[in-house]
Amino acid sequence: MGGLKTEEFIVNMGPQHPSTHGVCRLMLTMDGEIVKKIEPVIGYLHRALEKICENRTYAMCIPISDRFEYVTAMSCNQVFSMAAERLAGIEIPERAEYIRIIMLELNRIASHLIFYGVTAMDIGALTPFLYGFREREAIIDLFEMTCGQRLTYNYIRPGGVSKDLPKEFVPQCRSTIAMIKEKLNDYEGLLNENPIWLARTKGVGYLDPKLAIAYGVSGPVLRASGIDYDIRRDDPYSIYDRFDWKVCTRPNGDTYDRYLIRLDEIKQSIKIIEQALDGLPEGNIKAKISPNFKPPAGENYARVENSRGELGTYIQSIGEKKPLRVKMRGGSFCQLQALPHFGTECFIADLVAIFASLDIILPEVDR
Amino acid sequence: MGIIKKLPVYAEKVPGGGIVTTSVEGVLNQARARSLWYLLFGTACCAIELMCTGASRYDFDRLGMIFRATPRQSDLILTAGTITTKMAPRLRRLYDQMAEPRYVIAMGGCTINGGPFYYDSYSVEKGIDHIIPVDIHIPGCPPRPESLLEGCLHLQEKIKKEKLSDWQEK
Amino acid sequence: MTKEQLQTAITEKLGDKMTLLDTGRHDLMYEVKRENLLEVCKTLKEDESLAFDYYLNSHGVDTKEKFEAVYNLASTIHKIRIDFKVILPYDSAEIESVQEIWPGANWFEREMWELYGINILNHDNLTRFLLADDWDKGFPMRKDWDAPGFIRMPEL
Repeated sequence: MGGLKTEEFIVNMGPQHPSTHGVCRLMLTMDGEIVKKIEPVIGYLHRALEKICENRTYAMCIPISDRFEYVTAMSCNQVFSMAAERLAGIEIPERAEYIRIIMLELNRIASHLIFYGVTAMDIGALTPFLYGFREREAIIDLFEMTCGQRLTYNYIRPGGVSKDLPKEFVPQCRSTIAMIKEKLNDYEGLLNENPIWLARTKGVGYLDPKLAIAYGVSGPVLRASGIDYDIRRDDPYSIYDRFDWKVCTRPNGDTYDRYLIRLDEIKQSIKIIEQALDGLPEGNIKAKISPNFKPPAGENYARVENSRGELGTYIQSIGEKKPLRVKMRGGSFCQLQALPHFGTECFIADLVAIFASLDIILPEVDR
Repeated sequence: MGIIKKLPVYAEKVPGGGIVTTSVEGVLNQARARSLWYLLFGTACCAIELMCTGASRYDFDRLGMIFRATPRQSDLILTAGTITTKMAPRLRRLYDQMAEPRYVIAMGGCTINGGPFYYDSYSVEKGIDHIIPVDIHIPGCPPRPESLLEGCLHLQEKIKKEKLSDWQEK
Repeated sequence: MTKEQLQTAITEKLGDKMTLLDTGRHDLMYEVKRENLLEVCKTLKEDESLAFDYYLNSHGVDTKEKFEAVYNLASTIHKIRIDFKVILPYDSAEIESVQEIWPGANWFEREMWELYGINILNHDNLTRFLLADDWDKGFPMRKDWDAPGFIRMPEL
């Protein structure tokens, strides 16, 4: 076969493709089954959220931030509120901080459950999808009873949270996380030692820690490459420093480790929620601020750790009721930027697995 | 399964049983209405609710709705999420690739008129009905799974009332 | 490393090139002159007492009088953050690319070029990516941007 002449060709993956998690388009240069070059084409969901925020008051921006990253909308609310609070110098009541932590961590679990289901479905297993969404619905019920929405919450606002927890919340939250803790065994049993799963994920898509740092990759993907960096601990915000939990890392940096680390993080989140429920104080849930508050001139880049990595919001104020500039930074943006540098030299089917394991969602990239 | 098991028992008692008379229209419409395979097309927030509806609790399969990854095998396109000016030609192309008869459900506020938040955005398409014809609009941002199911039931009702002559012209 | 330590380290290493601004809240905000940008970035990354190896974000700002290019950096070693900005006049909006120092800057700078029209010098891939392929209406994130048919939010 030595004399056979071959040539490279281009495959267009997306924007409508079941495993590109939305509307990402990848232009793949292929040599047979092997991916030689990846060129992401983005912008199919560019909704100009940042421009829209510039024409609205701070309170009106919170629903916009929901749409920025709808899978963990609580984190977006939190990061926007944090930036606005730092600008305006608002103190948040103790109870509101605890409620925020509970909501953020519940939302992280919900997001990782989506990851679990969707990644497995991309690789070819349908059952985890049904498992993941079943448990997610229990968490969504908790959000719904608190703020009335299933996906875009508008719950965490500058100064605190919008509504107090209903009295059934605490017992139901306890039973939900106990249930998820139990179900985690099922999840692990289903995939962790499944030979097909191992063959599809182990050693696939190795991400070098140096490359990850150079491209600003963050969150579980970074920690799966062995780098011990978590904003919740290393640039602490809210009251994470009061709880006893640890940052999970995995050494290998392949698709399998990126999957395992999410399950580890669910366990840590459950630990945080249990402690926060125990320590939940009574009191006020919202600081007294005017709905059209005008922060003094200044600028701030706030960042939180959400389920996809670093979620940042930069706000510049010039002392008016509208921000001068809002910039939102999502973890997926950097993960997608790094993909062409480590996702090549593998089969196209493996690329689907790698892409799924990065847990990219497109509104974070396009905004 | 009950009807299929019992039908021969009753049918044989009737003189000339085993033959059921109905219109071709009725059979076709029943078949179309109860096997709406939808295209897996989600752009933004509504896609997560679409996935929820397809998953365990809400269970789309009850209505005979199964997701397909390619437009050539699907009868229905659920435009779940915001359509931007960059995406609009691709949506049209996907619609053109689907075989007749095809149906469109516009899911969420963005596909109806550009959404509750994006009216001063420079890149969001203000509604999809000037790109592709829409059968059912489902409001909400995002709509709950129940409203999505309701919308699909309405579409089934619509399909059941179709006349064969409607299709001849196209 | 605390903020005070960082501030002394910066004064020691880059005192003449970085000016502390009082607009920063929570984190330190510096101003850097355009001609010193590459030198400052190199020191920030390579000096062991600073070691800002983690490029978080950068973006343009239009203040109606001038452009600002804002950079947000972090150090995974010292667990500290820093922001700095470069002021660019309207009539000569161009800036050196920092992607040689932090490869992750590539897309952020592309976005700055596309949405604000800030020209990035020595950038390897300055092509359109967020806006539609046939976009010809200028730079939409500028404050004075307008286009036919564009509906503005009523003044609040």
